[in-house]
Amino acid sequence: MTALSAPEQNIPTPGPAAGATVRVEDVSKWYGNVVAVNSVTFEIGPGITGLLGPNGAGKSTLLHMLAGFLASSSGSVQILGQTAFGNPELYRHVGLVPEREAVYGFLTGWQFVLMTAKLHGLPDPEGATQRAIARVEMAHAQDRPTGGYSKGMKQRIKVAAAIVHEPGVLLLDEPFNGADPRQRLQMMDMLRQMAAGGCTVVFSSHILEEVERLAENVLVVVNGRLAASGDFRTIRRLMTDRPHTFTIRSADNRRLAAALMGSPAVDGVELYSDSLSVRASDFASFTLAVAGVAQQADVTLYELLPADESLESVFSYLVNR
Amino acid sequence: MNDTIVRLTARQLFGQKRTLFIALLVAIPVLFAILFRLNSENTDAMDWVTNVLFVRVLVGSLLPFVALIFGTAALGTEFEDGTAVYLLSKPVPRWKIVASKLVVAWAATALFVLVASVVSAPIALQGSGVDGSSMVTGFIVAEVVAAFAYCAVFLALSILTAHALLVGLLYVFIWEAVLTRLFSGLKYLSIREYSVALAHWIGAIPNVIIDPQVSGATAAVLLVVISVGSVGLAVRWLGRWQIGETA
Repeated sequence: MTALSAPEQNIPTPGPAAGATVRVEDVSKWYGNVVAVNSVTFEIGPGITGLLGPNGAGKSTLLHMLAGFLASSSGSVQILGQTAFGNPELYRHVGLVPEREAVYGFLTGWQFVLMTAKLHGLPDPEGATQRAIARVEMAHAQDRPTGGYSKGMKQRIKVAAAIVHEPGVLLLDEPFNGADPRQRLQMMDMLRQMAAGGCTVVFSSHILEEVERLAENVLVVVNGRLAASGDFRTIRRLMTDRPHTFTIRSADNRRLAAALMGSPAVDGVELYSDSLSVRASDFASFTLAVAGVAQQADVTLYELLPADESLESVFSYLVNR
Repeated sequence: MNDTIVRLTARQLFGQKRTLFIALLVAIPVLFAILFRLNSENTDAMDWVTNVLFVRVLVGSLLPFVALIFGTAALGTEFEDGTAVYLLSKPVPRWKIVASKLVVAWAATALFVLVASVVSAPIALQGSGVDGSSMVTGFIVAEVVAAFAYCAVFLALSILTAHALLVGLLYVFIWEAVLTRLFSGLKYLSIREYSVALAHWIGAIPNVIIDPQVSGATAAVLLVVISVGSVGLAVRWLGRWQIGETA
């Protein structure tokens, strides 16, 4: 299962293809000359899938296509075997939590979720509303206007509205934005429960840790392309095993450079006027080795900085691999 | 139609400063009528009420302006603030969404314009000895019908573009108010002209007072065509609406 391949090729996806609830086949989306999503193919089934990528990578565009709010420029997007775009009936089985914070500020939480239940034509809208609100633990605030909610509360009431009809596919765009750590954990638990109940949960995030903690299956999107897919362990290993660059300042940079070159964890060293740039073959062994090497060489370390730890650089490594 | 959306829209349209602003607009024709009443010794009341109060102020300005505000707000504000997604991500046929939004915008527009009409016209006619009831009835019917057509056009426009308010203003105050006067051929493409023709027909208003270029029956047919066409386009556009276009 899993793994990486050149972005042009179809990427084998985890999960049994027969049970796939979401199928994206060679989908592209462009706006004029700008390509937002570039021939992406994947299939996902029940369970939690994280759509990971830096801001502006095309995660929202993909999610909006899954949600039927964007037509793909080419390729096909199918949810539960049906075309997603222009197919309102499909929303009986799909729940969507949009990224924008907007809510009908004049409605209370209860009214908002109840309205959603009624629009779905549920047989017992009040009962469904009560269950959904309980699930996101918002009963204490359900009678207050949503306009006065905090960001995290708005997020939760939006989730309650999205799950009120117990959808088979739940799409969430950056669901943890604005949530405090406790709310985050609580939301993660709830999504796990939904997934355990057979729901296909797809959420987007630009935060590796969120995806790692929640998603069984990860799709990494960079520059509109699917850079990697697989279970989170595979992705995590790919990210940590890549070469790292560190910047070091010490009492004697030249002597430290010589000593470091003798360490197997080091691929190369560049000497600058007041610092060293060290390319390590992998993160863990270098960070373990560096202090010992410095001590043996009798050089005092002043500063050790990872040079390229931004998520973007991690992603660009995955893409350029 | 969908009760839930009707109720939601009513709260959206009425629970805002917008309503207060429109209520102030409604006071303008009433004020005009009072001023006319106070200085009207030598003026023909029937002529003034028809040509100035109804044709210029009520049908010519207030009606399209109120319809523009409610028509573009009914759905347009949802696109603007991002709440449209909640409505559109439901298994509700798109025509029901359009119909529910339109009915509320229409009712709101008709309500305000009718109040302005039934209050201001009697004030202006009072004491003049003229029986304007037939004329007023004609205009009221025309206002209700035209309110629907205007709201349908502006609602459709709000789905198509985020600048519906601007486009609508240009249509009402440049096209209908100025261009159709300069180029009489354009009168065939003006809801305002149809409204006046319809009022003229239904109210049996003498040709010496107003003489529309379009016949009443033609006007009625065109208003229906515009309304149905706009609703059809609105449903079609809403069904193909994509996030980020107007949002």
